[in-house]
Amino acid sequence: MELDVTQILKIQENRHPILFIDKITSINPGDSAVAIKNYSYNEWFFPSHFEDDPNVPGFIQIESLVQTFIMTFLSIEGVQGNKTNFLKINNAVFKKKIVPGDVTTIYAHLESFKRGLAKGKAHSEVDGEMACSAEFLVSVPAILDKFKPK
Amino acid sequence: MTRMSAIDKYRTIFKECFQYDGDVDSLEYQSIEEWDSVAHMQLMTELEEEFKIELDIDDIIDFSSFKVGIEILRKYNVEVN
Repeated sequence: MELDVTQILKIQENRHPILFIDKITSINPGDSAVAIKNYSYNEWFFPSHFEDDPNVPGFIQIESLVQTFIMTFLSIEGVQGNKTNFLKINNAVFKKKIVPGDVTTIYAHLESFKRGLAKGKAHSEVDGEMACSAEFLVSVPAILDKFKPK
Repeated sequence: MTRMSAIDKYRTIFKECFQYDGDVDSLEYQSIEEWDSVAHMQLMTELEEEFKIELDIDDIIDFSSFKVGIEILRKYNVEVN
């Protein structure tokens, strides 16, 4: 199943200028998602990062990974549209500089989703070459709060 | 090699979930900074995996201390004490 950006906007809450996925090319709710992000020089951060060497900041690469990752569980029926919180990022690795004109393909896998806590990992590739990877722990506060001791 | 007793496993899960080296037997939910709502869910998941059970929502909400947890696990035929 593919999702265009209007469908992505219905499932998750990130909006311009911090939405960093353009299209979902494949999704298996509760398991995995594959996204595409195109980096044009028109991106707001390129002129300042850096003027003489434009490349995608690391925090944006991580954000694009986690935005793909959250699609793996926000696409589950009944979970759609919830806000999420970052809890933990482990083993973040940056292997390749991403520059204007690059297209990243992001692969995310959900290892577990229980009581509002999602655990999993994602990595991005440019032309089949690894660019960035990380493991995530993300919460869905609206769900997690239902299980808190009183 | 020595096998860990059930109560030691139970204590170890608390220590590892909360990254806490102190005495866990007297702990209650939010009695230490480390036992917050997120760590609580991680604790529940670790207990389920270790003791091969699935906790009901009401028991997760009632799991308010180390000691209460022992009583809750007993409902699932898990004797840790």
